[in-house]
Amino acid sequence: MVEGILFVLMAVTALAGAVTVVVARNPVYSAMGLLGTLFSVAVLYVAQLAHFVAAVQVIVYAGAVMTLFLFVIMFIGVDTSDDRDERLPMQRFWVGILAGVIVLLAAGITLSGNFDWVPAAVETIPEATNGTIQAIAEPLFTDWVLAFEATALLLTISAAGAIALAHFKGQRT
Amino acid sequence: MTFTIDYLALAPELVIVGTLLVVFTLDMVLTRPKKFWIATAAVAGTALAAIPLVILGVQGETRSMFDGSYVVDEFALVLKGLFIVAAYLVLLMSHHYIESERYYQGEYYFLLLASVLGSLVMASSRDLIILFIGLELTTAPLFLLTGWRKGDAKSNEASLKYFILGVLSTAILLYGMSFLYGLTGEITFSGLAEATAGRGDEPAMVMAILFVIVGFGFKIAAVPFHFWAPDTYEGAPTPITAYLSVNSKIAGFVALLLMLYIALPGVSEVWAPALWILAALSMTVGNLSALRQTNIVRLLAYSSVAQAGFMLVPFAAAAVVGADLEEAFAATVVYLAIYAVMNLGAFAVVIAGARKTRSGELSAWAGLAQVDSRLGVLVAVFFFSLAGIPPLAGWFAKFAMFRSVMIAGGTTTVVLAVIAAVNAVIALYYYAKVVKTVWVDDPTGEFVEDVEAAPAVSLRLALWVSLALTVAIGFFPALVTFVGDASRVIAVGG
Amino acid sequence: MSWPEFWIVVLRVILTFGLLLVVTILNVWAERKILAKMQSRIGPSRAGPYGILQTLADGMKLFFKESITPRKVELGMYVLAPFLAVIPAFLIFMMVPWGRPFMIGDHEVTLQGADLNVGLLFILAMSSMAVYAVILAGWSSGSTYPLIGGVRATAQAISYEAAMGLAMVAVVMFSATQGDGGTLSLAEIVERQSGTWGDLSPALQPVLQFVPRWNVFPQIVAFVIFFIAIVAETNRAPFDLVEAEQEIVGGFHTEYSGIRFAMFFLAEYINIFSMSAIAATLFLGGWNGPTFDGVLPGFVSAVLPTIYFLAKTYFLVFLFFWLRATLPRLRYDQLMQLGWKRLIPGALGWLIVSTLVISFRQFGPPWS
Repeated sequence: MVEGILFVLMAVTALAGAVTVVVARNPVYSAMGLLGTLFSVAVLYVAQLAHFVAAVQVIVYAGAVMTLFLFVIMFIGVDTSDDRDERLPMQRFWVGILAGVIVLLAAGITLSGNFDWVPAAVETIPEATNGTIQAIAEPLFTDWVLAFEATALLLTISAAGAIALAHFKGQRT
Repeated sequence: MTFTIDYLALAPELVIVGTLLVVFTLDMVLTRPKKFWIATAAVAGTALAAIPLVILGVQGETRSMFDGSYVVDEFALVLKGLFIVAAYLVLLMSHHYIESERYYQGEYYFLLLASVLGSLVMASSRDLIILFIGLELTTAPLFLLTGWRKGDAKSNEASLKYFILGVLSTAILLYGMSFLYGLTGEITFSGLAEATAGRGDEPAMVMAILFVIVGFGFKIAAVPFHFWAPDTYEGAPTPITAYLSVNSKIAGFVALLLMLYIALPGVSEVWAPALWILAALSMTVGNLSALRQTNIVRLLAYSSVAQAGFMLVPFAAAAVVGADLEEAFAATVVYLAIYAVMNLGAFAVVIAGARKTRSGELSAWAGLAQVDSRLGVLVAVFFFSLAGIPPLAGWFAKFAMFRSVMIAGGTTTVVLAVIAAVNAVIALYYYAKVVKTVWVDDPTGEFVEDVEAAPAVSLRLALWVSLALTVAIGFFPALVTFVGDASRVIAVGG
Repeated sequence: MSWPEFWIVVLRVILTFGLLLVVTILNVWAERKILAKMQSRIGPSRAGPYGILQTLADGMKLFFKESITPRKVELGMYVLAPFLAVIPAFLIFMMVPWGRPFMIGDHEVTLQGADLNVGLLFILAMSSMAVYAVILAGWSSGSTYPLIGGVRATAQAISYEAAMGLAMVAVVMFSATQGDGGTLSLAEIVERQSGTWGDLSPALQPVLQFVPRWNVFPQIVAFVIFFIAIVAETNRAPFDLVEAEQEIVGGFHTEYSGIRFAMFFLAEYINIFSMSAIAATLFLGGWNGPTFDGVLPGFVSAVLPTIYFLAKTYFLVFLFFWLRATLPRLRYDQLMQLGWKRLIPGALGWLIVSTLVISFRQFGPPWS
């Protein structure tokens, strides 16, 4: 019951945030919309007892990534009159049609009911001794250690490569 | 809980990781004139990584790790070997190119090796998560490497286009995978195969599978998801273009085939028509566009789009008629191996030639054979091989493809085979045009004729290796048939 | 959840909230008074004895003043920002255990807003949320000085959060050796710091039995790094470039007035207190201390831990004020140098050293 209300509430704010990201004229409001979405999803994680994921979601996405977004937006200094001219004629119209078709398609698939989701396998999750962190840590450093390390490398190369590219001082031809 | 890691099975990856670290450390320590040691270390490390592969191959047992989500079987070994050989050739091509243009070297090799590592991981992956991470590890460094010629606007364009479409395709792929997981609750391929079988009539399942195919379609640059390819290939540093068109494309193919062959064989009625259309469109559009190209790198870009179409043919044909997929799988892997060797050779020739012509435009290449006949011979060998003319390696790739189509039988496959045959003829025209330009046409401009323009030792080595392989495979196809046979020994994993 | 439990939760939260408000009001006064002493002034002296009611008077004044809204502001974000500053500040303190649990009937009352098993992560999450208030306030004011203040704040917060997190990791890893497995719950971390180091070495037992089992002794480096980082996180001198009066007027809150300004002001002092409280909890044993159960009346024994907690926290708060009175403000590049080239490598190095020592003690030397 409580969980149901929470879900509806957070789903609505998450969607509202997502719509804001697309619709807002001002990129700062878009960023804040995304922040709202991320936060609502974090609350949903909490409702699913995934405290660790929720905390990490807020620290990493809401805390670090979005702060950097805002930082960049402010540094670049958004001129609200920028990029208002639309180069493709009827762009909005066609995008609207496309979006409508996709929504209809999704609605059709959902309403047809000709599929089943696998319900969350709650009973297969081992009872954690002390919250969820231990439950995540053990598989992460045993069965998934390869994927974990590869992801770490992925982040390292992104950082190293981005710095190398940004730092390059060549003659622009 | 006891948890052990089979270090021998992971040895090739670990050697590459070690090389990565050595490269990074060397970059911090060495001064500019001594930076060539970085390239040396990278090349040596890549070569070293082949040693555990051979050991594993001799032992020949299938090793399964991490609850069966990571499998080292003959198929994985063969592909790892292919990736390592291709990476070795690309590194050889890179050395002089990167050094002479004064780009950052340490990071270049670091990123390239990370990408190689990703493809090695991917060849062994037997679940969605490791497959995805391996694929991302393969492509993410390339977003950066395509923009390595930062001073050049075209390189920036290349990087940006590749990045945006790459990220989009990743998102689509991941979305499809998350649907698959939501519908089945499985991430391992074996689990997926069981859970999806016979569920091809569910709309959500169809959507998930189509999303996965679209996502991979971008990665392998199949029409209509190929728009990034020509611009990216043209703007990127040429060794990276070679890498893009070989390693990253093969990685995408392997991922796609692994998923379709191991995880989703039970719903082939969903993906087979999609694959058929992708194959037919890629061949036709790729070849027709290649006809009109005046830039040699763009020509090769469209040619690689068309080649992707050819590679899809066996699988699409077999799946559409519901024939046994094993034959098609083996044929595709053979095609991939041969394509890797001859395409790398073609790019090595382009790098060597561009040092003399200082241009990628085909008109500037006119009469190149008159000043450097050896280069002319190489152009002829690799481009004719791409066209599939015997006795060069390419013919056997095409042969294997048509053979598997014939084994599959059926009307739709014959239609596809006819499309493929027509396209092979179209392809011959523009490949031959390049050779004609180099050998027959009169020079339009001056060629650079100094020591600087001569191919460096490393590049010459790359040329020799790929030349030897191309010719040898052409005469003795048995050299690669074991690749196909090995791929029949594919473990499903846990 | 039964009704008594529900009321206990409500009681806990109200108590924590009330404590925080009272303490913050005192803090503002204390800072002015202490700074005044250090600068040979008198400080507030009119309202109440020793001017102790000065903050209340200021608060009343700000509450009834007009909140001016400049014409060029982005209204939505401008109004939102002060709330974003206050809410995380309150939530952070909810994680801190500020007294020994006691029993009402057969229900245990823990003196803590909430005990999450991801308590420390929650604190990190909330402290990263606090950045939004500053950055949005700076941006939405539609004025140059606040914008510069906001941008500085973001850069500073990101830089020092890393060092803070790494210092936390070191102490959490150490704390894991003190009990059964690792924990991120602050209540648990405090429990593990009870007692003394007496059992560490028989030879030094006479001395060590008087040394409390606080994490600060083995983790002194982490403590120093953590303290520097929290001073920077709360934008206090010498890291107060965000509101450097000489350069950028009031920084991000230049355009704020009345109650909205009061909220920023409040948030700053709450943060000082709750960050000090976290440092005291992680490193100084939280509410641990001799309670003389059975010797003193039960009521005194129950209140003593809270007093120990406040004493430890106030010691750190005093350090904050002391720093402000002593050190000149850093230049921006010095700030970044200190963060990225000293603190983060230092914290990483310490993390490695402390990991090595811990694993050496746990598993023996690698060659055995």
